[in-house]
Amino acid sequence: MAVSFEYVAKETVTNLWRNRMMTLAAVLTVAVSLSLVGTALLLRQAVNRQIGQWSNNVSLQIFLDADAPQPQVASVRSMIDQTPQITRCAYLDHAQSYAQAKQVLAGSPTAIAALTPATTPTVFKCQLKSPGDAATVAATFNSGVPGVYRATSPSQSIRVMQQVTNALQLILLVIAIVLLVSSLVLILNAIRMAIFARRREVGVMKLVGATNWFIRVPFMLEGLVQGVLGALAAVVIVLLSNVGVSYLIRHYKVLGSAVLPAHDLVVTELVVMLIGVVVGVAGSSVAVRRFLDV
Amino acid sequence: MIRFDNVTKSYKNLRPALDDISLEIQKGEFVFLVGSSGSGKTTFLKLLLREEVPDAGTVWVAGRDIGELSQWRVPYLRRNLGCIFQDFRLLPNKTVTENVAFALEVIGRPRAVVRTQVGQVLDLVGLGEKGDRMPHELSGGEQQRVAVARAFVNRPLVLLADEPTGNLDPATTQGIMKLLDRINRTGTTVVMATHDVGIVDTMRRRVVQLDQGRLVRDQARGVYGFGDDMTVSSRGVPAVPISGASDGRPYDLAGQPASGRVEAVRARRGVR
Repeated sequence: MAVSFEYVAKETVTNLWRNRMMTLAAVLTVAVSLSLVGTALLLRQAVNRQIGQWSNNVSLQIFLDADAPQPQVASVRSMIDQTPQITRCAYLDHAQSYAQAKQVLAGSPTAIAALTPATTPTVFKCQLKSPGDAATVAATFNSGVPGVYRATSPSQSIRVMQQVTNALQLILLVIAIVLLVSSLVLILNAIRMAIFARRREVGVMKLVGATNWFIRVPFMLEGLVQGVLGALAAVVIVLLSNVGVSYLIRHYKVLGSAVLPAHDLVVTELVVMLIGVVVGVAGSSVAVRRFLDV
Repeated sequence: MIRFDNVTKSYKNLRPALDDISLEIQKGEFVFLVGSSGSGKTTFLKLLLREEVPDAGTVWVAGRDIGELSQWRVPYLRRNLGCIFQDFRLLPNKTVTENVAFALEVIGRPRAVVRTQVGQVLDLVGLGEKGDRMPHELSGGEQQRVAVARAFVNRPLVLLADEPTGNLDPATTQGIMKLLDRINRTGTTVVMATHDVGIVDTMRRRVVQLDQGRLVRDQARGVYGFGDDMTVSSRGVPAVPISGASDGRPYDLAGQPASGRVEAVRARRGVR
């Protein structure tokens, strides 16, 4: 059976127009909630790029001299093993360390250009029993151990920043989820009203033997369009907010000089679109299932 | 074409709407379904459309047990069953042509087919000139003709009519009946539920009478009967009019006048 594209398109547009107030409400709510989701994601990426090296409870990094010979590396390793405050360490060789450096320095291409894998110091990323010991342990390794270039622990300000952004993200996500649920309900209600407005047509369609999908598809498409319109608005809002955040970052130097690479922005926008599609389809599917007994 | 085998259907907490009905309707027959309101006529039609499913028994349409149909096949069953109603059920925002074409469009017929078939069927129902009118610009009889056109445009095997003349005056009613008769002559089986004594008596077609969900009469060239009371008989014994009865009153199968029992039955049921 061919559901003619022309028929479905015509029905969907007519429905949306007839139902335009509900459509507007649904689209705006989707837009607002997805903007918050997008902003939260961007914030998360920006922060992670800056302090990514300190994630996963890593609280001590021991950089070795780039040209440290193997025996020196081995002796540092045994010294680590004998330090009781250290629970676990991961060793990044030249290639891995270079990859991490590229990430950390994503915002400053000149710094990356100056590096090669061979000149990048290798590093031990260590977890401590208690992060409070970080400064003492770092001092031990900084006291002229052969082969050790520098041992660093995250500064207090990074810890604070991590906590603040985590809380901020959580709040944004909670608000976004509440708004997403309400936009789902709004889309559901919009479709329900559309179904009610067209109950005569639906009755005749059932009578003359239109298939269930033929009856359902225009309504589901209507929900999809609402979701996508909201998502498109959110994409624009997220783009603007990214410009704003970048400006703030540069102006107040909150996160060093870093600006998010275009790649992260594109991924975020895609996620926003996808959520919009899912919300639209989910809302209309539920409405069609509950209120359109075919 | 249609067969009911011991079909029973009840709605919640009530006596059965249909009680152990068995009957067969051949292809090309014209059948009147008569009986008072609540006798089960509409339930009969709903079972044929599979809007309802019987509690017990089997409904066959065109050789198929329609209780066995999976949900997604029901629309294909309905394409073989045209339907008209007392209230026409036209779409008020579409013209006559669009109303009829809608029935073909939504089952995915190509546009060229739609155009020719709609034209043909509108000529058949005598509305060839009024294709561009809106339903509210038409008389009741004309609106019902549009509904007939919509039901017949897909050339269904069976045409179901639920009191199609209930809203129409006698002259208009006659026109609709002529139309249904013409459709019947094309080989389409017609099942028509009605209250209209006049139609049934003049058409002299098969009459199936229901009372309180029971089949009380099935007559080859029947008349409407003698009014509702005729059908009342004790213990569900069908009351059949005996042709040539001098007093014109109904008798039950035992050959006793039924009138004496009517009072008793009424009393038993309480006042209607």
